[in-house]
Amino acid sequence: MDRNLNILNEFNILYIEDDKSLLTHTKDILDDFAKEVYAVRSSAQALEILEYHKIDVIISDILLENENGIDFLKDLKENRNINIPSILLTAHTDTKYLLDAIKLKIENYIVKPINVKELLNTLHDILLPQIQEKEIRKNSNVIKTISVITDSKQVDIIKYIINNLDDENQLITSYSDIMNQITISKPTLIKLFKELADKNILCKTAHKTYFFDEKALDLI
Amino acid sequence: MNLKNLLKLIDKIPFRYKTSFLLFIITGGMISIILLSQVSIYTVKNDFDFLLEKRTKPIIKLERIKDTFTINIYDTLSDIKNKNISVTQSRDVILLAQQLIHKNWTSYKSTNIHSDYKAYFITKIMKDLLLPSTVPEDKRLQTSIIQNIDKKTILINRKVNHIYILFKQKKEKKAIKLINKLYYDINSINIYLTNLTAYDLNLAIQEKLNTQKVFNTLSLILNISILFVFFFSILLTIIITNNFKRTHHLLKDVVSSKTQELQKLNESLEKRIKDEVNNSRKKDMIMFQQARLASLGEMIANIAHQWRQPLSSIMMIVQSFQTKMSLGKLNQEFVDRKVQDAMLLSNNMSNTLEDFQNFFKPNKDKTLFYLKDCINNSLELSKYFLEQERIQVSFIIKNSIKTYGFYNELSHVILNIISNSKDVLKDKKDNKLIKIILKESEDHIIIRIYDNGGGVNKEVLPQIFEPYYTTKYKSAGTGLGLYMSKQIIEKHMNGSIKCKNVQHNMKDQVLEACALFIIKIPILKANNG
Repeated sequence: MDRNLNILNEFNILYIEDDKSLLTHTKDILDDFAKEVYAVRSSAQALEILEYHKIDVIISDILLENENGIDFLKDLKENRNINIPSILLTAHTDTKYLLDAIKLKIENYIVKPINVKELLNTLHDILLPQIQEKEIRKNSNVIKTISVITDSKQVDIIKYIINNLDDENQLITSYSDIMNQITISKPTLIKLFKELADKNILCKTAHKTYFFDEKALDLI
Repeated sequence: MNLKNLLKLIDKIPFRYKTSFLLFIITGGMISIILLSQVSIYTVKNDFDFLLEKRTKPIIKLERIKDTFTINIYDTLSDIKNKNISVTQSRDVILLAQQLIHKNWTSYKSTNIHSDYKAYFITKIMKDLLLPSTVPEDKRLQTSIIQNIDKKTILINRKVNHIYILFKQKKEKKAIKLINKLYYDINSINIYLTNLTAYDLNLAIQEKLNTQKVFNTLSLILNISILFVFFFSILLTIIITNNFKRTHHLLKDVVSSKTQELQKLNESLEKRIKDEVNNSRKKDMIMFQQARLASLGEMIANIAHQWRQPLSSIMMIVQSFQTKMSLGKLNQEFVDRKVQDAMLLSNNMSNTLEDFQNFFKPNKDKTLFYLKDCINNSLELSKYFLEQERIQVSFIIKNSIKTYGFYNELSHVILNIISNSKDVLKDKKDNKLIKIILKESEDHIIIRIYDNGGGVNKEVLPQIFEPYYTTKYKSAGTGLGLYMSKQIIEKHMNGSIKCKNVQHNMKDQVLEACALFIIKIPILKANNG
């Protein structure tokens, strides 16, 4: 599945890696995708960055010079109450690390050498929920605003229709059922249904049965 | 033919019996010869004695009797007749003569008749055996002569008495007439006595002949027995000598065949020894190889680690081209920068590889090198596992010494000891230290390697340099590392390697229980190495 990696450019990434060369080259790649990449070589530097910048995701090598990436993340979660999605990088396939990582509820675990696509996809998968959450919030705000400035009754009916759709996007209802729920005059209701049917959004397929066509929405 | 058959027959007798037989014949023959000679000597001596006793003495006695008759009696009577002496005077002489005659006669008879000569037992047997046909002594003649003499003596005595009676009666003429008659009587008795003497002499001659016979027979038997013993001794000696010769040849053959076998065995033994030596050499080679492989395993982990980082970077660089390209941001400056970095990284990797390759290259030539470099190289090669175990290494160089020897092998040894220390320090929680001190004494280079792992177990200490001795059963210890190290130091570098437990100030003036390895290498000059 092709992911839309463009979504990454809204996020700040904190990257901890003790090997300077790898740090530089990985940063060079991530720079093209992310909003800001903070590349550091130790947990101390990482904490400094975390204090002053908003970080959306942490990528950390497990084996750092004289310290351990897992210990660092554990410290963040347990002692500092900082819950940022994290990815661990390691040259080890050691189960000991893997188990620790699972216990810590680390988002993902990437074995070195890093496959850039895998890294980017992982980042995408981790950050997508955040994007989606934002989107949903945005949409609900749009709907709320529309309902304020237009006839709120019509918005209520649309809500009713969408809420009562079954798995096959079919609505089984009658005008009287709707009118029992929402106080609306029958002519207004009929007019609305007709309007929807004209635009192929909600077509009557049988008695009391309507089909909601999502594709028709995109054509508008 | 018969002799040959006999010889063959004797030949067939087992050797043991032959020798016994020879011994028996020689001893038996000798004994019989000695016995026979003794017997014959005794017999002859006996016969001489016998002759003397039995024959000579009586003859003398008879002669005496005869003389007494002739001189004492007859002459005295003649003197009386011629009136040379008085009758009274003659009477004493005659009486004395008569007594003498009586005595001698009695003694003769007793010798002859009563005491038959006591012959020796052996002489008797010999005589019985050898002279069976001897006619017993004819005593009748002797007896009749003796009787005649008895009669004559009595007659003479009577006539003498009668003469004296006549003298007393002064019938001198009659007396003289009787004296003349007595003269005949004395003559006749003398004849009898002479007869008896002749008889005795005859007997003596007879007995001498007998003795001669016995002697001859005995000498014959003796000679025959000597010949017999001689013959059989010679025969048996020849047979036994032959036997010896045959046995000797047989033994010689056996010995030569055995010698050949031994030689063959010897040759095969030599071959086997050669093979064994080759085998042990091969074994040594294999052990070296094993030791190498064991460290190779460790080294591979090391190489893997040392390669992993730059490899990651290079892969990142390669991928960066792709992402830049896809974003349309690929430009000359970026490519140049990244390629330069990649070159640098791959050069590093190449160098690492070369280091290890050199380490495992069996270089056979001695080279001149700085010990410092060699130890540093070992530390570089073991950097990975030292870092992994968080072991701190301090390297103190007291003198910077050049030595002549096998760089790689020494490097191997040091790596081995460090690796051992690492295995011990693994179990320690922190403050893991290894200290290496390089020093030069008068004619030795001394490398001291300490680790604060608590020292080597006392029970293990005497055995740590033995092959296939390992305490690391769980890990992949081959038990060859220290053995090979000892071999390298002792055989290739003429040095010595020792291990002991000491209390040493590793850091901060605190004494800790440490294991100490001391490597001593004689300083070799390039020209005499």
